[in-house]
Amino acid sequence: MTKLMTDDTIIDRQRGTGSRTTFWLGVVGLVGAIALVFLGFFVAPPDDFQKDAVRMIFIHVPMAILTYVAFSLTAIGSVAWLWKRSIWWDTVAHGAAEVGVMFSGLTLFTGSIWGRITWGTYWDWGDVRLVTTLILFLIMVGYLAVRSFDGDEAVNATRAAVIGLIGAANMPVVNRSVTWWSSRRTLHQKSSLVNGKIEGLTLFTLMFALVVFSIIMLWMLIHRFRISWLERQVSEGDLSEALTARRAEARAGMDRETEENK
Amino acid sequence: MTAASKPADDLTPRSPRPARARRRKIIPVIIAVGAAAAVVVLAVNLVNGSLFFYDAKEAVARRPELGTDRFTLLGSPIEGTIVPGFEGDETVVAFTVSFDGVNVDVVHFGDPPDLFKAGVPVVLDGAWVNAPAAVDGFTGRETDGWHFASDRMRIKHDNNYKNGDRYSERIDKANQEGRVVATSIASGQ
Repeated sequence: MTKLMTDDTIIDRQRGTGSRTTFWLGVVGLVGAIALVFLGFFVAPPDDFQKDAVRMIFIHVPMAILTYVAFSLTAIGSVAWLWKRSIWWDTVAHGAAEVGVMFSGLTLFTGSIWGRITWGTYWDWGDVRLVTTLILFLIMVGYLAVRSFDGDEAVNATRAAVIGLIGAANMPVVNRSVTWWSSRRTLHQKSSLVNGKIEGLTLFTLMFALVVFSIIMLWMLIHRFRISWLERQVSEGDLSEALTARRAEARAGMDRETEENK
Repeated sequence: MTAASKPADDLTPRSPRPARARRRKIIPVIIAVGAAAAVVVLAVNLVNGSLFFYDAKEAVARRPELGTDRFTLLGSPIEGTIVPGFEGDETVVAFTVSFDGVNVDVVHFGDPPDLFKAGVPVVLDGAWVNAPAAVDGFTGRETDGWHFASDRMRIKHDNNYKNGDRYSERIDKANQEGRVVATSIASGQ
């Protein structure tokens, strides 16, 4: 932790959280995103029924899938923290939760716009798919809020880990809701990917989008992990500094008393 | 000021944490409590089943029980039955929906969604009305003297994404033709 105060660390700070790998990962993600815009808008054909609205699928579906991936990482990290007190995994869980909240927020937002065009409504408060997704989003917002509480970080991490696992328990409900309540409680169609209802360039562009957004998510996760790791080191460094200062203070006091007694 | 730079016997009370910092610490608590409350409200609303579809067949079967209460109806508009019109100043559209061979005449008040068309299932909020649908030019398919008056319509489309390329159909056709050719070769024709 005191390493932070060395010259090496100053150099690290100037370089930020990037590395050669993350640089190229970022470049690939960026180029992929530009290619995706081209494919999504100009190459993939419009749908027979939805026409151009089908292009929302290239953002909405990858966002939804990667939300599951991110929150699954949070769940794994939470278990590792609760079981082994693994700081590395706890940091992964925290970073994945932040990225997951962003992706699930975008899933809700893009789904809402797509819903307005195709279903004729932005939202339905009784729709089981929409509401369980919103609940998942709110649970993970709660996770992040708990992590920001004042006080002992380890206690906050434990509380957040429990919340992360509650969120993970909700994920199968979100995912299967379109099958369990298809004809009763949701406007949302069943999965097109699993059931092979999508084909040709639309399928190709969707797969391409999934790869591109996965790269972007990985890039974000690595950077977020490194930021969290550095934050931990800084806070532990501050603690070490404070302890050293207190010890020095106590020693000075004792020396003075000794001097006076003489 | 760090502890190290203070004299050892400095007993001056330390200033309390600034109001802004205290506010910053309370914000996560407010967010967490708000999120928890919202989750509870949403879950209760969901469990109470505020959205529950009766398909046309069930809606007709349960008509005595449903009475004129509001409920949500699911059915597919039948080709050739869709008739737009006006009721006073308000736009209406009359059509017949079907589910599992059972028809229900519908009068929807307001503009339907852009993708509304025959054959694509719709979800309608409204109630039974004990009178035939009275929209000019609409004859309806149901003759039991009831219709469903709706004021909210959503489209419930399926998960098929097809375009003019029709890959699966072309692949199926090619397979079919391939089998015919293979059979011809095998039989020496």
